[in-house]
Order: sequence, then C-alpha cells, then structure tokens
Amino acid sequence: MIDTWYLYLFFSAALVLAGLLCLLTKRNLIRLFIGIMVIGKGLSLLLVATGFARANILLAQALVVTFIVVEVSLVAAALALIINIYRTTKSLDVRKLTRLKG
Amino acid sequence: MIVQTALLVGLVLFSVLAIVLRDLLKAAISLAVASVLLGIVFFRMNAPYAAVFEISVVAGLITVLFILTIALTNKAEEVEESRIVRWVFPLFFLAFIIIDALVMKGLLQKIPALPSAPEVGAFGDVLWKGRTMDLVGQIAVILAGVTAVLALFRKRDKHD
Amino acid sequence: MIILFVALPLVVAGILPIVGRLSRRVVPDLAANATLLFLLVYALAIGRPLIAGGPALQPLAWFGEAVNLRLALDAFSLLMLVTISLVGLAAGLFSINYMEHYGAKANYYALFLTMIAGMNGLVLSTDLFGVYIFLEVAAIASYALVAYGLEHDELEAAYKYLMLSVVASAFVLTSIAVIFGMTGSLGFAEVAAGLKDLDAGAVVGVAAALFIVGFGLKAALIPFHAWLPDAHPSAPAPISAMLSGLLIKVSGVYALTRIFLNVLGLTPALSAVLMVLGAISVVVAAFLALGQKDIKRMLAYSSISQVGYVILGIGIGTPLGIAGGLFHLFNHALAKGLLFLNSGSIQQATGTRDLDEMGGLGKRMPITSVTTLIGSLSIAGVPPLSGFWSKLIIVIALIQAGHPLLALIAVLASVLTLWYYLVLQRKAFFGKLNERWAAVKEAPFWMTASTVLLGLLCLVFGILFSLAVKSWFQPAADVLAEGVHSVIGTWGY
Repeated sequence: MIDTWYLYLFFSAALVLAGLLCLLTKRNLIRLFIGIMVIGKGLSLLLVATGFARANILLAQALVVTFIVVEVSLVAAALALIINIYRTTKSLDVRKLTRLKG
Repeated sequence: MIVQTALLVGLVLFSVLAIVLRDLLKAAISLAVASVLLGIVFFRMNAPYAAVFEISVVAGLITVLFILTIALTNKAEEVEESRIVRWVFPLFFLAFIIIDALVMKGLLQKIPALPSAPEVGAFGDVLWKGRTMDLVGQIAVILAGVTAVLALFRKRDKHD
Repeated sequence: MIILFVALPLVVAGILPIVGRLSRRVVPDLAANATLLFLLVYALAIGRPLIAGGPALQPLAWFGEAVNLRLALDAFSLLMLVTISLVGLAAGLFSINYMEHYGAKANYYALFLTMIAGMNGLVLSTDLFGVYIFLEVAAIASYALVAYGLEHDELEAAYKYLMLSVVASAFVLTSIAVIFGMTGSLGFAEVAAGLKDLDAGAVVGVAAALFIVGFGLKAALIPFHAWLPDAHPSAPAPISAMLSGLLIKVSGVYALTRIFLNVLGLTPALSAVLMVLGAISVVVAAFLALGQKDIKRMLAYSSISQVGYVILGIGIGTPLGIAGGLFHLFNHALAKGLLFLNSGSIQQATGTRDLDEMGGLGKRMPITSVTTLIGSLSIAGVPPLSGFWSKLIIVIALIQAGHPLLALIAVLASVLTLWYYLVLQRKAFFGKLNERWAAVKEAPFWMTASTVLLGLLCLVFGILFSLAVKSWFQPAADVLAEGVHSVIGTWGY
C-alpha cells in the first residue's frame, strides 16, 4: 500500500512545488493564476491518493468534488478581478501593481 | 502501474508546460490537457465521480473561463518575464524532483496510520448523508462566487 | 436550530440581488440589518440555555431523512457567534449611509451576508474539511468586498490578498490531508481520539507547522503579514472593520485555536511557538504602526499587533491565559471595528486618510472624536476600559506561568500602543482646525449611531468586566483548556 501512496504523493509534491515556483518567479497575472491551478491539481491528487491508500476512496471523492466546486468559484472571482485590473492599468504585469507598499 | 505512472508523468509535464509556455492560450490548453490526464488517473483509482468532475468542470468550464479572460485581455502588451527565471525555474524544479524522489518514501514510512475500516454504501450516500454540511458549504461557495463576479462587473455608476 | 446561523444569511444573500432590482436602497438596508439583528438576538437568547448541559449538536434527522449536518455549539463557538453578529450589525448599520456612493447596495449586502454565513459556518463546524470550505466561503466574499471600490488601489490590494490567501488555504488543506491519511477521518472528535491512540509526535508536528503557516497567513501574524496593511485599508470602511475585527480572528485565530487546543492537543513546544510568534507580532507591528501617516494603515498594523496579544494569551495554555486572550479578542473586535468605522467617517467627511492633512477635526466632529478616543484607549489598555482588563489578565497569566520576560514585553508594547494612538488622536482631532475642514460636518445618523453603540459597549464591558469574564469568557476558555477531552466523546454522534 505504501508503494502506491508514495508514487502518487511524489507527483503531487512535484505539482505543488511547480505551482509555488511559478508564483515566486512569474510576472503575468494570468500566469500566476495558472500556477495556483497547478497547486490545486496537486492538492486534489493528494486527497484522492490518500483516500485510495487508506481504502477511504468514497470519502476522498466527496472531498475532491467539494474542492473542485470551491476552485471554480475562486477562478471566477479571480479572473473577474484580473479583467478589472487589466481595464484599469491596461496591462497584465504584476510589476505595475506596486503602488501599495506592503 | 506502468500506465498510471506514464499518466502521472504526463500530468506533471503538461502542468510545467502550462507554466513555462510563452503563449498564454497554449498554456491554458496544456492546463486542460493536464486536467484530462488527472481525470483519467482518478478514474483508474476507482474514483469515477471525482474523475467526471475533474474532466467536465476543471478541464471544461475553468478552461473556458481562462480562454475568455485571455481573449478579453489580448490587447495587453507582452509581459516580459525576467531572464533569470528561464533557467532558475527548471533548475530548481529538477533539484526538487531529485530531493522528492530521495526523501518522500522515507517520510511516508514514518507516518503511522490507524487501521482503516472498509467503507460501505455508495458514493451518493457518502456525499449526501455522510457529508451534508459540505453541500451547504458548496451552495455558499457558489453564492459567494456569483455575487463576487456580479459585484466586480457591476456598472461603475457612482450615483447608482 | 443551530443551522439557522448559516442558512439564514445565505438565504437572504441569495434573495437580495433579485429584490435589489425592485428597491435599490431601502429593502437591502432593511433586510440585511434585520437579519444581522435577528442573529444577534437569537444567539444571545438561545445560546446560554442551549449549551448549559454541554455542547449542543444539530440533530441528525432532517425532514425525516437521516442526514449528517454536523454542527456543534459550545461556549467558545457561542462567544465567536455573538462577536460576529455584534460587529457585523455595527458594520451593517454603518453601511446604510456609508455605502450610498458606492452603488449596488443589494449586491454589497449579499456579499456581506455571505461572508457572515461563512464565518458562522466555520465557527460551528465540527470537522476539518468543514473548516476549510467555510474558510473559502468567507475568503471569496472578502476578495470582492476588498475590491468593491474598483479603483487601482483596491484592485491591487485584493489581488495580493487573494494570492496569499489561496496559498494559505493550500497549506491548510495539505495539513488536513496528512491528518486524514493518519486517522482516516476528518471529524474533530474522531481525529482527536485517533491521534491519542496513535502517538505520532513527529508527524503531528509537521501537520501543526503547516497549520501555523496557513492560519498564520490568514491571521496575518508576523512574518506572514505582508497582505494585511494593503488589503484592510483599501476596503470600504465597514469592510475594513469586518476584516480587521472579525475575519482575521475567525479564519485565523479561531481555527488555529480550535484545532491546536481541542484536536491536536497543546504540547509545550507548540505553546512556546505560539507565544513567540505572538510576542514578535506584538512588538514588530507596534513599531511599524508608529511610522504610518495613513490613518487606516496605522490601524491595520495595530490589528497585527493586537492579534499578537490574543495569540500570546491563548498560547500560554492555562485557563486564565486563554480567558485573557479570548477577552482581548472580543475587545479588539469591538474597538478596532469602532476605529475603522470612524476612519471611514473621517474619510467621507474630508476625503483624505493622511493624518498630516487633518487636525482640529474634534471641533467639527465631536461624536467621532470622542468615540475614537474611547476605542484608542481601550485598545491601548487604559483603565477602566475593557482593553485594560484583558491585557491585565494576559500579563498576570504570563507571570503565573513563569514567563516574566514576555510579560514585560507585553506591558512595554502596550505603552507603545498608547503612544501611537495618542499621536493619531492629536493629529486628527486636537489642535488648530485646518482651514480646509471649516465646512466639515458630523457624520450622518446611522454612521454615528453604530460607532456610539460600539463605544458604549467598550465602556460597559470595561465596567462590568468581572461579570463578563465569569459568564462568557471563562466557560469558553474552559472548553479550550480541557484540551482534547472536551471534544472526544461529547462531540461524537
């Protein structure tokens, strides 16, 4: 059992890290959000794989379905925000968003 | 097992492509391909409902939203990514993959687990009767998303 | 009918955009504030009797069908429910006048109520994944609310907030998956029982670290605070009050506290980590607040500092320390809500948030000036206001638990707090009236009414503090201090 879990979690960790690296290095607003989607894929793989390894696949499926619904809402809100930013700044560059000091 | 591994490799490959491809449209499409692959992986893991959701909603609906956004913002000048990133990204990613391969197995063996009880019933029972509160949460999340989009695209008339 | 706390705001939020087409102002104002008032009265009326014999659980059968709407109400969640409804009502009343010029009020209140429903659901949730999903409900509504003005600053702040918040949720979900992998269940009671049998210190430590990063980002503890000083000032004033007063406490402090103390169990190492994180936030954010020229940014940094006090108090782990932390959480929700609302009154009257441009506003806006003074002094910890007592309890608890150094830090930082609030008061309200503000008038009725309400509560809780602590905060602290035992058994079905 631990072998299959290992296989899935190896790839899930790779996906999450690819997404995090994208967040750290990229500058295009839409690209940054693609990074978030890649993290989301890693997380749903993690959930299903954990349920699979523990023979709790039905529960894991229920969780993933809910997670995907959350993701859709999040994408809709975030893309609406990005379109608004584009209308205001005429650019998708995250470096144009530095008026606030953080 | 081999087919599953190949699918997972493809999933990671297309996800990385979605991040590094310069053309946003191609990136969105490779993200969709990655979703389809993930859906097939789910299907082969005995998770058909998660697979259907992954393919129809993530590969379908979310990709449509992405393409719509890219189309609406296509007059934007090309965003210049920094030069260093072009080699930093693959370098770090490869380094991490190696660490991941070396460490993950040892880590997982350290995780103790309670013996799992076999599940009974169908998926519908688990979702509707076992996790009813999640359904309320789903309704709330959809409502939040819809009202958020309505608010962000409302007419910007200050005097209403 | 505990489900009402989640269902009612959701239903009203769903109806509002439709009703909003018929009546643009009156009906949304009325419906939203009536809902908030009802929730407050309902929580106050049914809460105490309902939990008198242990935590109250939502019954399993629903319309004759066996469903699993798992919700539980105990003293800690009741305290949070009352806080949410109270500050929510004040912000809602304030919005009646303040949100006039933003337009689309029905839509605004729909988001507002969705956020309330998300927070209520989080507070009542009995399982880890429930915490995650209601965290997202409140967060998605808050992104749109931060961006509600649709100007450059608002959008920028909302985008940064969204990015960091999504990363925070990812950390939380990873940790939930690790715990799911170990115990095979998600309910608080089952997980707590499973972890007790399992004796897996190291892996629980990893899960706890992931939770600290995730909820630390949500609660904006230093060093995870980068988004807050942008996001909270950019939002409309009532939303700043909601975010600073409630959201960071519910989705950060409540979730962290509930999971660490009642599910994972507070080990000495975890307790030390929490106290150090809290102490760092208290000190660093207080210094950062000193240098601010923008009134709302100063208040935002002050929020980080005060949440640090709450974490410091809860981290001690003794009943007294937890009670002090919770009391401070409540006091800060009232006072910071009040201060953010007043900053909105000032911004609406003068059009600026720059402290250097203000001056002498006290003569023009006497009520705002007085309530701001009450709020500032309460947060800074001046007797007899409520903030003094909560800080005193935290300091006493620190000394009792053998941390005199941290107690000293807490006292010195509160002097610093008093200093920057006096700077704020002097620059904004005292001194000579700036010629530009000769025509400024006091804020409209509902705006002053809501701030006066919060100011009075700061006073009342300061005077009646021993009664309040005994009847509200000590029971809540006992639930937490009992650790995993208060969840195992009583929360199961």
